[in-house]
Amino acid sequence: MDKVTLQVFANHARAAAENMAYTLYRTAHSTFVKETEDFTVQITDPDGNVIAVPMDLGATWYPGLYYGRAIRMIEEGYEPGDIGFTNDPYSGFLATHAPDMHMWKPIFHEGEIVAYATGHIHNTDMGGAVPASLSRALTEIHQEGIRFPPMKMYRRGVLNDELLRVMLLNVRKPEQNLGDLKAFTGALHTGERKVRAMLAKFGAAGFKAGCAGLLDYAEHQAREVLRAIPDGDYDFADYCDEDGPNGHPVRLALRLSIRGDSAVLDFTGTDPQLTSALNVPTGSDPRHTLLLVGVYYVLTALKPDILLNSGLTRPFTCIAPEGTVVNPVFPAAVGMRSLTCGRLRSLIFGAFNLAVPDRMPAAPAGNSSILNVMTTDNRTHRTVLAAINPVVGGAGGFPTRDGTNGSGADAAYLKNTPIEITETEVPIRITRYGLMPDSGGAGRWRGGLGTALDFTVFAPNSRVTARNRDRCKFRAWGTLGGKAGKPSDFVLNPGTERERVLGNQDTVTMDPGDVVHIHSPGGAGRGSPLDRETERVLRDVRYGYVSPAAAEAEYGVVLRDGTVDEAATAARRAAMRAAETGAHFHFGPEREAHEAIWTPAAYAELTAILAALPVHWRFFVKGRLFDRLRTPAGDEGASRVRAAFEALRRETPGLP
Amino acid sequence: MGWRLGVDIGGTFIDFCALDEDSGALRTLKVLTTPAEPGREVMEGLARLQAEHGLDPAAMTAFVHGTTVGINTVIQRKGAELALFATAGFEDVIELARLRMPDMYSMLCTRADPLAPRDRIFGIRGRILADGTEAEPLSAEDVRRAAALARERGAVGVVIAFLHAWRNPAHEQAAQAILRAEAPDLFVFGSAEVWPVIREYERTTTAVLNGYVHPRVDGYLARLGSALAERGVPATPMITKSNGGIMAASLGRTACVGMLLSGTASGVMGASFLARQAGVANALTLDIGGTSADVALVIEGEPQFGTGEMIGEFPLHVPSVSVTSIGDGGGSIAWVDGYGMLKVGPESAGSDPGPACYGRGGDRATITDAMAVCGFLGHTPLAYRSVGMDRGRAEAVVDRLARQLGRGVEETAEAVVDVAVSSMFAEVNKLIARYGVDLRDFTLMPFGGAGPMLGCLLARELGMARVMIPRRPGVVSALGGLIADVRSDFIRTLFLDVVPENLSAMQAALAELVAQAHRWLREEQRFGGTAAISLLAEMRYRGQSFELEAPVEPAWIERGELAALRDAFHRRHEAVYAFADAAAPVQLVNLRVVIAGATAPPDFPPEPRVAGAPVPERMVEVFHDGARRPMPLFLRDALHHGHAFVGPAIVAQEDSTACIPAGFAAHVDAFGNLHLEAAG
Repeated sequence: MDKVTLQVFANHARAAAENMAYTLYRTAHSTFVKETEDFTVQITDPDGNVIAVPMDLGATWYPGLYYGRAIRMIEEGYEPGDIGFTNDPYSGFLATHAPDMHMWKPIFHEGEIVAYATGHIHNTDMGGAVPASLSRALTEIHQEGIRFPPMKMYRRGVLNDELLRVMLLNVRKPEQNLGDLKAFTGALHTGERKVRAMLAKFGAAGFKAGCAGLLDYAEHQAREVLRAIPDGDYDFADYCDEDGPNGHPVRLALRLSIRGDSAVLDFTGTDPQLTSALNVPTGSDPRHTLLLVGVYYVLTALKPDILLNSGLTRPFTCIAPEGTVVNPVFPAAVGMRSLTCGRLRSLIFGAFNLAVPDRMPAAPAGNSSILNVMTTDNRTHRTVLAAINPVVGGAGGFPTRDGTNGSGADAAYLKNTPIEITETEVPIRITRYGLMPDSGGAGRWRGGLGTALDFTVFAPNSRVTARNRDRCKFRAWGTLGGKAGKPSDFVLNPGTERERVLGNQDTVTMDPGDVVHIHSPGGAGRGSPLDRETERVLRDVRYGYVSPAAAEAEYGVVLRDGTVDEAATAARRAAMRAAETGAHFHFGPEREAHEAIWTPAAYAELTAILAALPVHWRFFVKGRLFDRLRTPAGDEGASRVRAAFEALRRETPGLP
Repeated sequence: MGWRLGVDIGGTFIDFCALDEDSGALRTLKVLTTPAEPGREVMEGLARLQAEHGLDPAAMTAFVHGTTVGINTVIQRKGAELALFATAGFEDVIELARLRMPDMYSMLCTRADPLAPRDRIFGIRGRILADGTEAEPLSAEDVRRAAALARERGAVGVVIAFLHAWRNPAHEQAAQAILRAEAPDLFVFGSAEVWPVIREYERTTTAVLNGYVHPRVDGYLARLGSALAERGVPATPMITKSNGGIMAASLGRTACVGMLLSGTASGVMGASFLARQAGVANALTLDIGGTSADVALVIEGEPQFGTGEMIGEFPLHVPSVSVTSIGDGGGSIAWVDGYGMLKVGPESAGSDPGPACYGRGGDRATITDAMAVCGFLGHTPLAYRSVGMDRGRAEAVVDRLARQLGRGVEETAEAVVDVAVSSMFAEVNKLIARYGVDLRDFTLMPFGGAGPMLGCLLARELGMARVMIPRRPGVVSALGGLIADVRSDFIRTLFLDVVPENLSAMQAALAELVAQAHRWLREEQRFGGTAAISLLAEMRYRGQSFELEAPVEPAWIERGELAALRDAFHRRHEAVYAFADAAAPVQLVNLRVVIAGATAPPDFPPEPRVAGAPVPERMVEVFHDGARRPMPLFLRDALHHGHAFVGPAIVAQEDSTACIPAGFAAHVDAFGNLHLEAAG
C-alpha cells in the first residue's frame, strides 16, 4: 500500500478503535470502566496482532498485546457471530489476572477472517477469597476467582447462557459484570461495523495490505529509535519492597542488549516466583506486552509521534526464565501483578537510562496506592464502602524540566475523585489532599512531588485498604547526579502518642477520631542539585515544594530572610561538590544498605542456586537465606550465600 | 430605518453581518483582524458599512458581538496576576486537577502550569462540611495575612474557593467582605458566586478562569463601549455567550466565564437557526477557519450543551454549546516523516504568516495551498479581497513534498487533502460515538471561510448523504449573535435522593433559582420582552460518578411528581447509555434554570423560484479524484432558488469557496442555501 493511502488507512483504523472505546465507555456500568477507565480495545489482524488502539480512553498497557495464542486455543475454529473470551492468566497468556476479561470477535469477509475486534474490561469482582478478587496475601490462582479458559461467549450471535450463569453465580457483583459484558459486546459490534466500512473503502486486499503496512510502519519507527541508541549491554536491577506481607525485597534484573535496530531484554537474575499475588504471568512469550509496557513509554519519550501497535514489539525479544516473578508457573497467584508491573517499568526505564542518559528522565515515583474505606454512617447505620483516591507520585526529572507533580510518566492515566463528592457520600473527613513537600528527588531538574492524603473516620471498626503499597523502602532512583525521590509512607495517627507506622501494610482498622496519613513516593531528580539555579530553588521554597532546610541540605542553597545568601551558598555548594561521586544512579540509603548485604556477586550465586532447584522450593529457600544474611558482605558475597545454602540444606529435610 | 449588527472576531478575520430590520436584507463584510489593537477593526468595519452600504451608526438598534479576547488571554497566558485563597490543606487543588493527564501514553507528558502560581495560593483555615455546617470558623487573620502577602507578591485580584462552598458559601462571602473592606484595590471573586457547583477542582478552576481574564475583558469591553458611544451608536452593546445566548456587554465585564467561548457558540447558534429555517432537523455543523476546525451536533433543531469545554488547556465548567475541535483549519501544515508517510498538522501556519499562497511569508504547504494547487481556489478573489492568491507559491511549496513522496505536484496536493480529511474523519467519529448517534440521520453544515472547501469531501468520507452550505458561510457566527436570545443559566447543587422527604428542599431551590433568573433578566439585563424559563436536572444513579442532564418540567417539582422526575432520568440514561435501571435510587445532583428573553428572529423573505439551469461563470480545470477534469465554476450570487446542477463543480463567493465533488447533486432553496445530495 502506498504511504499516502496508508496514512489515510491509519486514521480510519484509529477511528475504528476509538469508536469502540467511546461505545464501551458510554455504555458500561461499573466504576472500573467509567471512572478508572481500566479497559482497553483493539483491532487485530487475523493472527491476533494489534493494529490499532484508541489514544484518549482506557488503559495504556496493551498496544502490543498478542491475541493469537488464546484465539487458537478454541480449536473448533470460528463462525460469523462468535465471540471468544477468557480471563484465565494461564490459558494463552492473554488475561493477566482473573478480573480482566478479554474478548475477541472475528470479522469475516467472504468466508475468511480478516480481523478481530478485541478488548478487555476489569470486572469489579470475579469471586475468590476476597472482595474484588485481589489481595497481595493470596498464594495460588485458585483463590483469585473463577477462571474461564478461552471459550465462546457467543456462538453465531447466540449468548452462551449456561456459561454466563456459572460466571454470575460465582461473582459478588453479578449485575455489574453483566452490564459491562453487554457494553463490551456492543463495543465489539461497533468495531466490526467500522472494519466493514474500511473493507468497503479500501477493499479486502487493501485492508490486508493496510494492516500489514501499519505493523511495518510501527516496526520501522521502533527500529529507527533503536538504531539511534548505541549498541551495548545495559544491566539494571530494581526492587519491590516486599515479596508478601512483612516479606523480603523482590529483585527484578534486566540486561538490555541493543544491537543495531534490535534489542534483547534478558530478565535472568530476577527473583523466583512468589508465594504471594505479585507474580506477572507472561507465558514465556518473547514479546509479552506486560514485559514491554516500559518499552512503549520509552519509545514515546524518544519518538513522540510513534504509532502504537504490535509492530512496535517486533524488534524486541524478551528472555524471562520460567519460575521467576516475571514468568511464574501455574498455580502461582497473580492478582496484584500491577504492583510488580510498576517496578518492571522502572526496571526498563533504568536500563534505557544507561543506554541514552541524555534523553531519558529520572525514575518516576513508580507506585500509586489505591485507597478504599469501609465504614458506617452514623445517621443511617448503613455500611458504606467507597474508593477514596489513588495516591499518585510525580514524574522523574525530565532532560529539560522538572518532573510533573502528583501524577505523570507511567501513572498519568489515573483519575481522582473530588473531595466534595467523597465527603458527601462517605462519612469521613479529609483534612489534607495535596502535594508532599520535599518528596521530589533533588536535582538540576527536580523530581515531581508525591501526593499526601489525610482523613479521619467517625465510626468504630472502619477498615481502610491501600492496595499496591510499595516504594516505602526502595526509592525512585535519581540519575546523572540527581537524588532519589523520597519514599512513600502510611501512618496511623501521625504525631500523636498513638502513632503507628504502617509502611507497606495494606489494610488498617480505624476507630472514631483516628487519622490516617498516606503519601506516595516522589519522582527522582536528574542532574546534580548543585547545578540547579538558585532562583529555581528559591522559587521551590516559596512554592512550598522544598523546605528551607532541604534547600540547604540537598541543594546547598542557603536562604536568609527569603533571599539567597550567595556567599554561604557558594561555600556550601563547593563543599558538597567535593563529595559528589559521579555515579550514574542515586538509589538512596535503603537500597545501598540492602546491596551491601546482597552484592551483585551474592545475587548471582543466589540466582544460580535457585535456578537449580525445583520451582516449589525456590521462594522458601530465598526467604530462609535472606533471614540468615543480615550483615554487610565484603568480597565474600558469593561464598557466604553458598555457605548459608549448604547450612540450610543440612537443616531442611527434603531440600534437594 | 433601523438595522442590527452582528460582529464576530476570529483568529484571522472579523466578520460583520448587518440586518436591515425592515427588509430582512443582510449585508456582510470581512476585515482582517488587528491582534495588536483589539477593537480597532470594529470601528473600521463600521466605517466601511456606512461608506459601502449607507448604514448609519446612529440608526443601529442592536450591536451583538462575539469576541475571542477572553480565550486569547488564556491561550497567550496574558491574564491577571492572580491570587487564590483555598481551604487550608487543599492548596494544590488546581495543580492536581483530576490527576489524569493528556497524552497519557507519553512518559514525558505534562500539563499546563496553573493560572495562579503556587506562591500566590494561600491556605485559609476554616471548614464547611458537606452538609453545610461549620466545623471550624473562618480565620479572618489568615485572610488578612494572605491578602497582604498576595499584594506583596504582585496580585491584582483574588479568587476565593473554599471546600463545600457549593453548599454553604458563608466563608467565601465573609472572606470577600474582609477583602473588600481591607484590600479594596484587589478585585475578588468567590467560587460559589461564579458558578456554585459541587466538585472543588471544577468550581475552582472556573472561578480562576473568570478572575484571570477579568481585567483584560473588562478593559476591552469598556473601550469598545466608549468607542461605539463616540460613533453615536445608540444600541446597548451586547456580547454573545458560551451558552449560545447574549448578555449586555457591561455584565460580561465581571461574568467573564460566560463569554469565553462566545464566537464558537454563536456559530452553532447561527447554523442551527439556518438549519431550522431550511427544515433540517439534525445537523453536524462544521466550522473551519484559518486556524481552527470545529464540529457540533444539532439534534432536532437544538444545539447540544455540555460542561468541561476546554479554554486553552483548562476545562470550563459552565454550560456551553458543545463544540469539538477536529483540527487546525486551512492553515494546517503538511509534511513527510522519515518513513515517507504524509502527515498534516498539528503544526499550523495560522493566520500569520498563513498559507504560502496568501503571499505573506508562509513557506510550508498547507491544506489551503493544496486546494489551490488542485485548482479549487484562486478563480475569484478570496475573503472580500482581503488576502491574495498566488498559485505559483502554492505549487512551489507542494512541489517540495511531491519530490519527497515521488509523486506529481497535483497528486501530492490531493493526497494532502485526503490525509487531512481522513484525520478529521477520525475525530468526528469520536464525537458521534460519544453521543451514540447515526450520522445517516444528519446533514453536514459546513461554514466558516474554509468549511465549504472541505465539507463535501468530509461528508463523503463520513458516508453522509446530505450537505447544506448556507448562503453566507463566512458570517454564520456573526449571524448567530443576531438571532440569539438574552440567556443565562443558574445552578444549585442539591445532591439529594429523589424521594418525598427531600421535596421541600427541591421546591425551595427551584423557587430561588427562578427568582434569581428573573432578577437577572429584568434588573441586571433590563430586558422587557417575553421570557421563557426552562429547567434541567442533572441526575444519576446513586454510586455513579457522573451525572446526566435531563430537561424536566418545573411543575413536577412544584406539585411533587417525583416519579416523573425519575422517569425523565431513566429515559435519558437509556437514550445515552443504552440501559436504565428503574429499580435503582436516583439522585438529583444539580438543578439548573435557564432563562431566555426572546429576540425577535429576523424574517428573511424567501426568494422567488426561478426556472432554468444556472449558468456557470466559466469552465475551469481542477485536479480531482486522481485526474484533471473540467468543471463548472458558479458564482454564488448567480445561483437562485430552484437552480440545480451536479458535481463536480466549484461555487465561489466573496467569503468562501465550495468544492463539490463528483457524485453530489446540488439545488438552491428559497433562502439561498445550497443543498447537496449524494447519488445512491
